[in-house]
Amino acid sequence: MKKAIFALIFFTSFLFSSQIFAQESHTISGRIKDVTNGETLFGASVFFKDTTIGVITNEYGFYSITAPKGNYTLVISYMGYVDLSQEVNLDSDKQLNFEMSASSEELDEVIITAEETERVNIKTPEMSVSKLKSETIKKIPVVLGEVDIIKSIQTLPGVTNGGEGTSGFNVRGGAVDQNLVLLDEAIIYNTSHLLGFFSVFNADAIKDIKLYKGAIPARFGGRVSSVLDVRQKDGNSKRLGLTGGIGIISSRLAIEGPTFTEKGSFLLAGRGSYAHLYAGSINEDLKDDKVNFYDLNLKTNYKLSEKNKLYLSGYFGRDVFNFSKSFKSSYGNLSGNLRWNHIFNDKTFSNLSLIYSKYDYEISINSMAFDWIASINNYNIKYDLNYYASNNFKLDFGGNAIFYDFDPGQVNPTSSTSPINPLKLDKKKALETGIYASAEHKISKALTMEYGVRYSSFVRLGGQPLTNYANNRPVVYNSSLGIYSEGIAIGETNYKDDESIKTFGNLEPRLGLSFQLTESSSLKAGYSRAAQYIHLLSNTTSVTPVDVWTPSGKFIKPQLSNQYALGYFKNFTDNVYSLEVEAYYKDVENRIDYLDGSELIGQNNIETEILNGESRSYGLEFLLRKSKGDFTGWLAYTISKSEQRTLGDDVEGPGINNGNWYNTAYDRTHDVSLTGIYKLTDKWTFSSNLVFQTGRPVTYPNGQYQYEDVTIASYSDRNSDRLPAYHRLDISATYTPNNKPERRWKGEWVFGIYNVYNRKNAASISFGQNKETGINEATRTAIFGIIPSISYNFKF
Amino acid sequence: MKTYIKTIFIGISIIFTSCTDVIDVDTPSADPRLVIEASIDWEKGTSGNEQTIILSTSTKYFEKIENNMVTGASVKITNDSNGAEFVFTDQNNGKYSTTNFVPVLNQSYTLEVIYNNEVYIAKETMTPVVDITAITQSREEGDDDEELEVNVIFDDPENEENFYFVKFRKKGDLLPELFRDNDEFTNGNRMTIRYEKLEDDSINQEAFVPNDVVDISFHGISKGYYDYISILINQVDGDDGPFGTTPVPLKGNCVNSSNPENYAFGYFRLTQVIKTSYTFQ
Repeated sequence: MKKAIFALIFFTSFLFSSQIFAQESHTISGRIKDVTNGETLFGASVFFKDTTIGVITNEYGFYSITAPKGNYTLVISYMGYVDLSQEVNLDSDKQLNFEMSASSEELDEVIITAEETERVNIKTPEMSVSKLKSETIKKIPVVLGEVDIIKSIQTLPGVTNGGEGTSGFNVRGGAVDQNLVLLDEAIIYNTSHLLGFFSVFNADAIKDIKLYKGAIPARFGGRVSSVLDVRQKDGNSKRLGLTGGIGIISSRLAIEGPTFTEKGSFLLAGRGSYAHLYAGSINEDLKDDKVNFYDLNLKTNYKLSEKNKLYLSGYFGRDVFNFSKSFKSSYGNLSGNLRWNHIFNDKTFSNLSLIYSKYDYEISINSMAFDWIASINNYNIKYDLNYYASNNFKLDFGGNAIFYDFDPGQVNPTSSTSPINPLKLDKKKALETGIYASAEHKISKALTMEYGVRYSSFVRLGGQPLTNYANNRPVVYNSSLGIYSEGIAIGETNYKDDESIKTFGNLEPRLGLSFQLTESSSLKAGYSRAAQYIHLLSNTTSVTPVDVWTPSGKFIKPQLSNQYALGYFKNFTDNVYSLEVEAYYKDVENRIDYLDGSELIGQNNIETEILNGESRSYGLEFLLRKSKGDFTGWLAYTISKSEQRTLGDDVEGPGINNGNWYNTAYDRTHDVSLTGIYKLTDKWTFSSNLVFQTGRPVTYPNGQYQYEDVTIASYSDRNSDRLPAYHRLDISATYTPNNKPERRWKGEWVFGIYNVYNRKNAASISFGQNKETGINEATRTAIFGIIPSISYNFKF
Repeated sequence: MKTYIKTIFIGISIIFTSCTDVIDVDTPSADPRLVIEASIDWEKGTSGNEQTIILSTSTKYFEKIENNMVTGASVKITNDSNGAEFVFTDQNNGKYSTTNFVPVLNQSYTLEVIYNNEVYIAKETMTPVVDITAITQSREEGDDDEELEVNVIFDDPENEENFYFVKFRKKGDLLPELFRDNDEFTNGNRMTIRYEKLEDDSINQEAFVPNDVVDISFHGISKGYYDYISILINQVDGDDGPFGTTPVPLKGNCVNSSNPENYAFGYFRLTQVIKTSYTFQ
């Protein structure tokens, strides 16, 4: 650990020493905002015309640009906005704030870019990043008209999920729990409502999202596959406004406006579903039952001074299932974040965040008279600094510490006749810390590098007993039967509160470089190593709301990944089109895998149900976009492979699946998505979305036999077969009646049809006997057939 | 209980699931294996001397099962303590029987099957079962408070781990319904295993009505058999939805000592059992 810190200090000082202070330079800094609502703009590019000097605004709209003394034209550009330019005589340090106005066709034009500003895009080493604006997301046709961020990112290359009605998403062949999902910096542990049919993000409260599929910047840590960075709107600081919508599944309403005489602003958004209204019509028996979800988003900020700004944001969302007869369940996320932006000087921006987040669920089962609760809580303190050293050198550095409190489950009988004994699984505690430094360094006109390192450490804290096992083996192999089973427990060790059970530390280098081939094309390469210390225990095909997170410790090691990526980026036909091609290879050490027949629910000694394994994935991604004109859209294609293997380290036996590599449940050989948006007139816009995917890997029976008067299917090796290919077409039309600019009330109708040709895509195929004839059958379950929808959105 | 929690979410996802249908699927095919259904069930209060073991072979999944009974094998069980041997006679229809088996509770036995010159060996212990306290019917207790269910109620002994296997079959039904449970969360308490049939038009299943008769076998089983039958029941239920677990090749306890790769399907179990039936009022 000491060594690592030393290395980091050494490395950082090396970074500083590499700057060149050859001539007298001055700095301009400030913030970029939207003129109509005062929202800060993230990713706007600020540059001096006819030079290579330029920067991109950070998450808070801040920029700082340094150049040798002289006269320049400062240009600010942001996709969908009118470029601003200003003559600057750079003879001293200056502060300049800008407000940009949306280009006139912006309301209808839809832009999706991997990076908002092409001019900078091909130059920065940032790669493997997908960015979507809320407006774009709202234009993609979706099931039941329910705008969905998680579904929209699946139209991009390298992102898939388990299918309709499954939670989360998979990035470049990674598991759902390998994604770091942040809502205003707070960790969101479950991104789904209604078991995955919808996502927890209310598009009206979201400003933009950024998905890092690889080359994860050093400021992020804790997950090995991706980072989904979702930012809430700050709230309109110019005037009071309302936005909302009425859909088939839910209704939304958001209110925003200035506070404290324009020193601040706020946003309060709510969304509630009324799915339970339908349950009764689908099935008579469900008429008294309730299935619904709701969300509440809050954000407010207050400007203390030009250099100090406070932000407070929060999220609360919940799903409630109330099947009055038999059970009740609810689950959801709660998060809050207090931030303090402080500008030290025109070159140094800092942000301090205090973040809390929580995921919990409860289940109460009437027929067995018990209830069950579980939760994960975390407290996070985080400090980040941006130092704009010179026109070719920018340094980001900082650190954070997260304290986790896991409550994997408590069971309580709810009546005196309940058969269930009270049970408390051991609570677990851990502290995860990280420090990082990362530099963006323009080495020559053509070559820019981003290099950084993160040192993460994880301490599994005491305050709980741990079972000891004979030969220190929680899992043993019975070689004569050829099966794994739990090890022999030989007592417990009680760890005191101030003791640590296990400590881990990892150095995570991150490297990116961009080499500009021509004015409009570049090559990029990236490498990142990442460590993940907490794991979601899930042996089902798709994660469920009751899956629990567990920390690394004596038995479970941290997941460690290496990812290598190489890409080619090109803008052509006057930046109307762009092409991105990326190849990646990723391996993950210490990916846990589950024994045959493992039982995870209510399991205090999870180590007896798992073995240690590894995974790897590789692929090639293409993204062709058209981002200007009446017709916009993109074609995404990914060819990839994702596999895992579990040899079980020092546990005897061949490992899971005989120790062979096998497909992960999220392996998709081909994944094609074509999204198009066509603006016919000022009133009518049409969009469509065509998806084709190789079927999900599944396990089919390779034989049958009779046992206990029942036909038993015998199954082949794990995931060695596939469901039929998944494909569907969705269309939607948006009608905007008479939206004159002077009218405050702006409304639009969205008509959609999901799965137009009513393809019965198999969500699963199950094998069993027909109860009447006894003949074996394969039964396909398809979730959504053709589904029309209508919704109304408004702005006031 | 664990199963129950999982089933709930499978249930919820099905509410949204508008459509299931039967389709044609090409399944892979593996070489046939020997299937040993060596269920030595000692009915409480009887001598347990008559026992039958069934041998067959596995076939392709979508193939009518016929002529797969195994004849000409040699089958015997040995009491591991006193060496007493019980030879099962080939009935030439896949069944091998004896009338002189001597069951002893908590006694370990070894099964030996010789077939095609390969020797299959399995070891298991005769597991006792507690008495059934009561068998009742109700409507309110189950998942649907309007449909009838039958409840098998028993008192779980404290100070030991217990595992149960229950087979219900409504008279007239082609297929039985298999349940298993353990006392992990209910140790020492009064436990209930409940069988409720929900009306389901898609598979022509009707709920219970008065005068329906349900046959019940209530077994005490070993931990090894519990682990086996749990996976088997999960796979029979076939609910491989988004919340299903990946089905796996199921291995029993019959080891091929001549050629370990060629293990047998099925299980050598020794259980004490209570057999009874219940007529709905």
